[in-house]
Amino acid sequence: MKISLNWIKQFTDVNLSVDELVKKIGAQLGAVEEVIDLEERYRGIFVAQVVSCEKHPNADKLNVCKIDDGGQAKDIERDDNGLVQVVCGAPNVRVGLKVAWLPPGVTVPSTADKDPFVLGSRELRGVMSSGMLASSAELAIGDDHGGIAELDTPAEPGTYFAEAYELNDYIIDIENKMFTHRPDCFGILGVAREIAGIQGIKFTSPDWYKSSLGRIKPESSKITLDVRNGATELVPRFMAVALSDLRVGPSPFIIQTYLARVGLKPINNIVDVTNYLMYLTGQPTHAYDANKLRIISGTNDTVKLETRMSRAGDKVMLLNGKEVELKDNSTILITSNDIPVAIGGVMGGKDTQVDENTKDIVLECANFDMYSIRRTSMKYGLFTDGVTRFNKGQSALQNDVVTEEAVTTLIYVAGGHVASDVVDIKNKQFEISPVKVSSEFVNERLGLELSTVEMSELLANVEFTVKVSGTELSISHPYWRTDIEIAEDIVEEVGRLHGFDRLPIQLPRRSIKPVERDKLLALKTDIRHTLAKAGANEVLTYGFVHRNLLDKNGQSRKEAFELGNALSPSLQYYRTSLTPSLLEKVHVNVKLGYGQFAIFEIGKSHIKGQQDQREVTVPMEFNAVSLVFAADEKTSKSYNGAVFYQANLYLDTLARACRTQIIKRPANDEVLRSNPVLSHVAAPYDLSRSAIVCDINGTVFGIVGEFKQSVAKSLKLPQYSAGFEIGLRALQSKSNDATYKPLSRFPKAEQDLSLRVSSDTRYADVKVLLDEELGKLTGLNIYANIAPVDIFQKDNNKHITFRLTAAHNEKTMQTAEVSGLLDKLATIASQKLGSERL
Amino acid sequence: MSYENSRVSDVANILHARASSLVNKAEILKAVELKGLLAELPTLPVEQRASFGKDINHLKQELQNIVNESADTQERLATIDVTAPFDVNVNGHRPELLPSTGGSIHPLMTEMDAILDIFYRMGFNAVESRQIDDDYHMFESLNFPEGHPARDDYDTFMTTDGLIAPAHTSTMQNRVLKKYKENLEKNEPIAVVIPGRVFRNEDLDATHEHTFYQLEGVYVDKGVNAGHLIATLKTFLEEYYQQQLKVKTQPFYFPFTEPSFEFAISRPESLRKGTGTEDDDWLELLGCGMVHPNVLRMAGIDPEIYTGFAWGVGIDRLVLMKYGIEDIRHFESAKLDFLRQFA
Repeated sequence: MKISLNWIKQFTDVNLSVDELVKKIGAQLGAVEEVIDLEERYRGIFVAQVVSCEKHPNADKLNVCKIDDGGQAKDIERDDNGLVQVVCGAPNVRVGLKVAWLPPGVTVPSTADKDPFVLGSRELRGVMSSGMLASSAELAIGDDHGGIAELDTPAEPGTYFAEAYELNDYIIDIENKMFTHRPDCFGILGVAREIAGIQGIKFTSPDWYKSSLGRIKPESSKITLDVRNGATELVPRFMAVALSDLRVGPSPFIIQTYLARVGLKPINNIVDVTNYLMYLTGQPTHAYDANKLRIISGTNDTVKLETRMSRAGDKVMLLNGKEVELKDNSTILITSNDIPVAIGGVMGGKDTQVDENTKDIVLECANFDMYSIRRTSMKYGLFTDGVTRFNKGQSALQNDVVTEEAVTTLIYVAGGHVASDVVDIKNKQFEISPVKVSSEFVNERLGLELSTVEMSELLANVEFTVKVSGTELSISHPYWRTDIEIAEDIVEEVGRLHGFDRLPIQLPRRSIKPVERDKLLALKTDIRHTLAKAGANEVLTYGFVHRNLLDKNGQSRKEAFELGNALSPSLQYYRTSLTPSLLEKVHVNVKLGYGQFAIFEIGKSHIKGQQDQREVTVPMEFNAVSLVFAADEKTSKSYNGAVFYQANLYLDTLARACRTQIIKRPANDEVLRSNPVLSHVAAPYDLSRSAIVCDINGTVFGIVGEFKQSVAKSLKLPQYSAGFEIGLRALQSKSNDATYKPLSRFPKAEQDLSLRVSSDTRYADVKVLLDEELGKLTGLNIYANIAPVDIFQKDNNKHITFRLTAAHNEKTMQTAEVSGLLDKLATIASQKLGSERL
Repeated sequence: MSYENSRVSDVANILHARASSLVNKAEILKAVELKGLLAELPTLPVEQRASFGKDINHLKQELQNIVNESADTQERLATIDVTAPFDVNVNGHRPELLPSTGGSIHPLMTEMDAILDIFYRMGFNAVESRQIDDDYHMFESLNFPEGHPARDDYDTFMTTDGLIAPAHTSTMQNRVLKKYKENLEKNEPIAVVIPGRVFRNEDLDATHEHTFYQLEGVYVDKGVNAGHLIATLKTFLEEYYQQQLKVKTQPFYFPFTEPSFEFAISRPESLRKGTGTEDDDWLELLGCGMVHPNVLRMAGIDPEIYTGFAWGVGIDRLVLMKYGIEDIRHFESAKLDFLRQFA
């Protein structure tokens, strides 16, 4: 909301410098986005009068003018009479005209923001011209390039232009967001009232705004209005009145400058008056050409105007020249003889527009449902000053006062008469119910100790009516404030007007009870530290993916949540697992020259049909960690063995750090089919070279392995790539502390055991068996551990060599004792697994 | 998916049949029929071209999938024992972790953890935010009625099932208030922070991300006032920047707080490049306010007895400023050139 300080000052005193005021507005009203010094923009421009005007000797369309600037401009070439010579090409230049003269050295205002153009003295076809006479467009006031601006000021030549038109002004742009709940602050009056309030000055609205003064007196009944409200639900109040015999033309120049300085375009005096009042009060009004309406009405003697809800297929040609076809029955239309002539509260229609030939008008001043206006605006992409105001919920109680002021102003600037009765259709009673609040309630929430008198004064400054009884305040808000409903609204009001920057600040009380850290967040932190320490790099990637990524990884699109309003196809689906996002980032980094790396992400994925167990209205969120290891062709030559074991090592490292025991089983289709979540997680993995990851109870929680050739190919992965993805739930719930055994004072003994098994026997089967049996054989006094040393495979046989390390708590282990243990282990392995000791 | 143009669908049938008989499936991509379709494209009426082109692309993708799948079934490497810690016949070689010096934690997560740590020390619990939510939590429970213009300020992504990619971590407020309501009964405050990833339907450029991180905070107790809010945020930011700061509030509007503020601090020393000219430079860091009574009420907390405050702070911006990162898009780029600078 751009405000003009001069406009504000018409309604309240401002006792602060601009800087101080801007600071105060920031602290007590809303963030200031920009301050523009308008005087700067119009500096050096004079009001001048054309004294003589003769045809240019060498150019048909140019005139050579002598202008009187009251002798004010310095260092300028003048004739004997003190006049300045300016060449002007405007068709409307003539003797006696008052003009805006831009002397040499002055910047053309319309160019000030982008590419400042500074005028000079120069010859135009052999005739010297000092500066220029400006058009409205060059003055950044109107669009009119057709001729120079014809000034209507009584000011003497030589008066500064800025002074003559009150342009020695500041424009302060306050962020609109702050006013989302403040319909009144979309008008100068509303902001002026607040500026008074925050300065502690009592504000008084103009009489005409406080209540109707009964100024509209029909002088004729030349126009018969037939006004109906067929959309009573969404149009609480609809007012209309006809005016006849107006003279359409440009507005007084001062009005044009006021519109222009706050960003509105002057159009003609009728439209300008409606815009001016909208900007003053926040209440939009609309003027229809009465004659055009009458023709649409299909009668000779009556002008019909009716609101109704739209029907699919209704069409209306709007003021912006675009035709809108209505999609459904949810838009408020203004119609005549059932034919749409405007979209209510949003935009007027082209067919009933006021133009230079208009004589009679119908003025509409209505109140529309804010939600309906917003829906229509969004649905048809129509964003107008009217929408900005109506969708904040304007007060229906200002329709009559604004109508009255509009009619009075229209007649003042365009002549004419009131030519009908004022139609006022109200569909409900608009009542203001007082809010009751105690001073304690307010003080408690602000940490203040204001008296009821102090509070009443703050509120009365912005025209609230306050009745005090003891510590209780009964507060009636002025009719234009539609945002005051509850006691907390009064807290805001008092706090803001008093100054939030003056509140005593103090920390809340707290107990010394320790805070419990969130387990999931703590786990995530642990994981990122563990994996980073293991040389991996944490990445973050988007949670939304392209459908091609799902396709390439063999993930069913049907089970992925799809965005209805995605920014681009590459962000259209919620990912159903994390690994594909990482795979997509492998090639990028290979190209950047990284020969080997491991990237990981801790994130969430979502699958349709998997609802949250505690909250059935929302989908389950799967917290997982995925890691991908990759080495390019050159680097991978230094590795021995399948890349699976690289990813596997990272997984084991992580599990160990989380003190979680995991079990790996060869992957197969069957497990996936019964587990919809795992089927998404496992989709990019080559099952023949992957293991399903389970907890010790056999609950599956992820996969580790190499990737399918199709995936590798389509995502340009190096051959030597593998990864894992596991759910965090298993890690979290299984976390426990380290286990400790007392140290032995006696030396350890070591011996190897080599077993030959068939190549289909899994390593884990052998290891688990040996671990179990070793546990049974050793008991509490012996610390013993077996670890793999080598695995050798030839033909259909696998040789696995383990090293047993053992120590006794109370004595030195004898070689024979260790051998004995190994013998027993070998025997059992032979019985249970058919292995042969080598 | 079916084809819109029967011409393409006929060719598709021919090529699918041929592909099934090929040994080297890759040859199907060179089929003359496919080239024929492409050649036809410019000869078609303009209005048909888009749909025809789409069909051709679809067919190409189908054939590419056939080729890719065929690669999966090819025998390539010796089978491995996935239950073993290392491969067979590797002569004592073992898989190895990469050097820990190259490892790194994402700077956004480092910062989030540092901020969480401050709030833990200040006595706050923490709960992570959701990344897909419903209208009730994202809007309704936060006092945004259906159709409210304030919803316009949150350019939310919606799924075709009517779910929402949350545009702020406030989407957890109702849950958190309900979860910790029992604190109030025990005469203890509700003090919770909510870190999480949020989404806005915003075009991507050097300073705008559609995916970013926030930390929400909410504090409810008897007798909580706006001065407590300002003091809490000031304390947090002074701890975060390790120095005393000037702070100021600007009135603002959020439907879920009343009153609402924007909270700004004087630019901390560590973020000053120049020579004191930035003294008067205020950084607007977060939005905050007193929890709206309707929000408390919807969580079953009596606003006559209890009051509270809430805030939300964007993490990305703090990190951008801290390191002078020039482009917000680096965060989700997964580029090691970027990430390893934070090793």
